[in-house]
Amino acid sequence: MLEDIIKAYKEAVYETDKTAAFEVVNAALAEGVTPEDIVFKVVIPAVEELMSGINKDPDANLAQHFMTAQIAAEVTEKMLEKFQHPPEIIGRVVIGTASGDLHSLGKRIVMGCLKALMVETIDLGVNVTAQRFVDEAVAHDAQVIAISAMMVHTATGEHGARGVRKLLHERGLEDRIRIVVGGAPYRFDSELFKNVGADAWAADGVSAGKVIVDLIKEVKP
Amino acid sequence: MTPLEILVAAISGTPAPRIPVFCNLLDQGARELGMKQQEYYANGEHVAAGQLKMRARYGHDNVWSLFYVGKEAELFGCQEILYAEEGAPNVADFVIKSYDDIAKLEVPDDITAHPAWAETAKCLKILKEEVGATHPICAYLTASNTMPAILMGMDKWMELMISGPFDLRDELLRKCSEFFQKEVAAYRAAGANVLVYSTPMGSTTMVGMKRFQEFTLPWMKRDLAPGGVGGIVYYCGMAPFNNVIAQVMDELDINIHYVSPMADLAEAKAIIGNRGLTCGVIDDIKLIHWTPEQTRAEVKRMCEIGKPGGHFLFGTGVMPMDVPEANIKAMLEAAFEYGSTP
Repeated sequence: MLEDIIKAYKEAVYETDKTAAFEVVNAALAEGVTPEDIVFKVVIPAVEELMSGINKDPDANLAQHFMTAQIAAEVTEKMLEKFQHPPEIIGRVVIGTASGDLHSLGKRIVMGCLKALMVETIDLGVNVTAQRFVDEAVAHDAQVIAISAMMVHTATGEHGARGVRKLLHERGLEDRIRIVVGGAPYRFDSELFKNVGADAWAADGVSAGKVIVDLIKEVKP
Repeated sequence: MTPLEILVAAISGTPAPRIPVFCNLLDQGARELGMKQQEYYANGEHVAAGQLKMRARYGHDNVWSLFYVGKEAELFGCQEILYAEEGAPNVADFVIKSYDDIAKLEVPDDITAHPAWAETAKCLKILKEEVGATHPICAYLTASNTMPAILMGMDKWMELMISGPFDLRDELLRKCSEFFQKEVAAYRAAGANVLVYSTPMGSTTMVGMKRFQEFTLPWMKRDLAPGGVGGIVYYCGMAPFNNVIAQVMDELDINIHYVSPMADLAEAKAIIGNRGLTCGVIDDIKLIHWTPEQTRAEVKRMCEIGKPGGHFLFGTGVMPMDVPEANIKAMLEAAFEYGSTP
């Protein structure tokens, strides 16, 4: 039965059909599938499959990533309310767009995937200063600072990832906190993340989920 | 031959001494005039002067009437732009904050009478008088399928586009399409003759093939129907679109394509062939850290792919402010050298 549910859920997500995805989930609950199984055996494998297949699927596209992430986040949120025990959180991330940048699509995709992957995500919004990224990461004991930048000057400027790196260095936090970046400029120049002082980058919002989980594992005791 | 004649020759495939060489140095104009961006973009005379000085310095073929992408949102009532000294301005105030605002959204009856058009008109008038007879004048026009992204934010637009309510989505698109039709007519009347049709949703990396065919294509047809495709350049905001070029040529009759740096240029050239113009676009984000030698090598590679058989133009993408002047010079000198016809 679970195999049929997984198949139907993946089909709905592939077609970016949120209504159909929720119909699958609600039918599964009605048939006695636990909320835990829906998250861990249906939603997370679907996200992971998308992450692993993203470079192989010739029709992979931004709309699909966005809706997959939104559906996964919404389903997970609803299921978490029904969990017998709160799930173990893998780690914490503070996320926002770089100073001067108001583009929030990529950030939302990443946040949706992280929620489904049991990563606690603190959304700092758009146009976030380097100082605030670091202060909030410390305040929330986050392992990763995720910085989205859709414009070249917000990706490379002193107030974005570069500024965050400088502050982490000055405050002796580099062993505790990693920086990940994403956004269009990094896709055009895959070496750019190093130039701005980031530890890693992701080519798209869905892949960012895996990159961030890996970074959390690097620094989390 | 004048740059304008060279462009016409490249499109038609008639002999010319070289390929057309296009470049966009927008925000660099403010730096050239020693102005803050807000001051620079507040006056169409500044923008025209900046463009003419950039062209005089580097010798590329075209000038731009584009201020910044958010300028179109101002014609819909956007009141706040976030300026930056080191890069392009952003829309800071979304006109559509809730779905209720869609009904209130007004397309100006006469775009040319709107206060936000005045400086653009001033810029175009100067460019037309100064170089219009000899050089292409470019304009940037956002397709109806993408305009909502600068009116409400890309994420909100994507939600509405995919999940509805579809009556509201279509009401918004009708307004954006009507706006495009008026805007393209205004630009043509003011002297712009290279009309870059910015349609990111016209790439399947954004929406997938099914949605491209069922959603994007019909709205693009509607945008372009009244005015035709004269001077229209298909551009997907730097996203690759080789896999739809044939459909765009067949269905929309657009034969000039501004190919993504991430796409296979040889493949695009093979698809377009002698039916139109392949615009090879350099990955100008890499120009930030490339050496002049690396820059020249990339231009040479692109010209070797594109130049044989003609119907080819060399162009740039976003030209960040961080690109060193030495690389701008190396790029354009190489384009003239490797793009010349023996």
